[in-house]
Amino acid sequence: MSRNRIYKITGAVATVFLLLVLAPKFLPEMKIHLATEIMIFALFAVSFNLLYGYGGMLAFGFAAFFGFGAYATALIISRIPAMPLLLTLAIAALSGFVMALLIGPLAVRLKGTYFALITFAFQMFLYAIALKWRDVTNGDDGIGIARPDLYLPFLGNLSMAEISNLYYVTLALVALGIIACYLFLKTPLGNSIMCIRDNDVRSSFLGYSVYLTKVTVFCLSGFLAGLAGGLFVLFNEFVATNCIDLSMSFLVVLMALVGGTGQFLGPILGAAFYITFQDWVSSLTQRWWLFIGALYVVVILYIPDGLISLFKSERIRLFGNRKRG
Amino acid sequence: MEAVEIYVVQLMHGLVYGMLIFMVTSGLTLVLGMMGILNITHAAFYMLGAYFGYSLALSLNSFWLSLLISPLIVSGLAVIIERFFLRGTYGGGHIPQVLLTFGLFFIISELVRLIWGSTPLRLAEPALLEGGISFMGRVFPIYRLFIIGFSSLIFLAMALLLLRTRIGVIIRAAVSDADMVEALGNNVPAYFVGVFAVGAFLAALAGVIAAPLLSVFSGMGDQVLIDCFVVVIIGGFGSLVGALIASLMIGQLQAFGSLWFPELALVLQFLLMVVVLVIRPTGLLGEEI
Repeated sequence: MSRNRIYKITGAVATVFLLLVLAPKFLPEMKIHLATEIMIFALFAVSFNLLYGYGGMLAFGFAAFFGFGAYATALIISRIPAMPLLLTLAIAALSGFVMALLIGPLAVRLKGTYFALITFAFQMFLYAIALKWRDVTNGDDGIGIARPDLYLPFLGNLSMAEISNLYYVTLALVALGIIACYLFLKTPLGNSIMCIRDNDVRSSFLGYSVYLTKVTVFCLSGFLAGLAGGLFVLFNEFVATNCIDLSMSFLVVLMALVGGTGQFLGPILGAAFYITFQDWVSSLTQRWWLFIGALYVVVILYIPDGLISLFKSERIRLFGNRKRG
Repeated sequence: MEAVEIYVVQLMHGLVYGMLIFMVTSGLTLVLGMMGILNITHAAFYMLGAYFGYSLALSLNSFWLSLLISPLIVSGLAVIIERFFLRGTYGGGHIPQVLLTFGLFFIISELVRLIWGSTPLRLAEPALLEGGISFMGRVFPIYRLFIIGFSSLIFLAMALLLLRTRIGVIIRAAVSDADMVEALGNNVPAYFVGVFAVGAFLAALAGVIAAPLLSVFSGMGDQVLIDCFVVVIIGGFGSLVGALIASLMIGQLQAFGSLWFPELALVLQFLLMVVVLVIRPTGLLGEEI
């Protein structure tokens, strides 16, 4: 990376971050709510894109990690009230990681459709457990929680019931997650996953361990998805089986695709677009699922490369990886 | 001796559901095998079949006519969907097809709710098949026997078509290597439209037949979608016999599962899918990769 480019990226990131930090001062509460939700799903979509866009691994059951992290968070908050909030969220991310560590070694042996379907199978298995193990998960009724306070060393207790506080916590964690993901892709390990995506046979001849690299990336994206799930429960104050079902799995694929999976910023744009669109449509009509379905169809048929492909200026492309050939 | 009767009755229930699922899945697995398309709209064809069947049976006052006409309408719709939506995504990998058909599934489900409402509807079984017969001291509904017989006939007809006719040979060859079959001078896309339409026809047929048994409700597509996925994965892509075996397994698992461990039946079903995929990723009878 040239020095000039580093300045540009740092400048752009700092500007966006500053805008996001200042946003709650100017926005009405509803919009802060919306922005929080967007950030959570942006993290989820970025973690999916790490696996699919960069790793070439299409997972149809990606909600497994999101949902597992979500359930872990809800269970900890409702059963161990004394647990510090940040530790709870760390456990949520770790539980996504552990679940990925259990599924990954079995799944990454397979490629293409078979990989997609085995992740789907594991996700449905977890879904069935979430639905049927009523003593723990409360089945269809789900688990409602009250947001616990966050204790910070110099600031004291922050009440999470205040939406702007939740916004800042989400912003900090999501930014950390996304930046970690971005930096990971700049490491030799992160480069080798793209190399494996493009040609796994040649990569293994070059001495890369295809299997271990794939498992590592799988676990990392499971970790970030688990964190997103934890944040979502905190935001939603409720978890139910819809966090771990098929629709959630396809939703994250849609978000990544709406934005564009070939670029790092694509999924973030996709999440922002989708959440805003859903919010807008559901305020217009009861039948908003009709429009969500239409969105799927329109995106696939007319903008298969995602919204980000619509403005392909040089400036935007600076942030992206090379387009997949 | 009562225990034995319960088992036999549950076995029959499992057989009924298994055969229904098989009728839906057969089209799905052939489409998947031939063109590599995971067609989620297929479950919507089943649901549409049931709803059209319900309305037609009421307006025509004949179950049998609706059993014929409803699948015809649905397969016409399937051809439209294939022509105008799916065709644009061939060669683009799985993601576009799955998301596109998932979107269409959403749209159809929502339209169904818009037109027919959310309350479950009940379609009466035809007068000919009302009542039950005594069977080992229990009454077993004739209608369920009809389902078993009818779906077995369908299976036989499909087996004959695929194994004994030239069309069947080409379809089977296209499942294993579509490019080569096309290179040999066969119009594979035309055969594919045919398979797609017949698959939708069978799914809708299963929907009409299931209507008196399971009632017609807006969530019926979701339910059958998941079961179909499980069956296709366990049976192996493109394998009709695999789909039959897997359907019967799922039918029995659900029947006996609900008898012995109702809480675990669903979990076991997915566990079975996971185990099959881990041990044999291509499914029971799928081709090796």
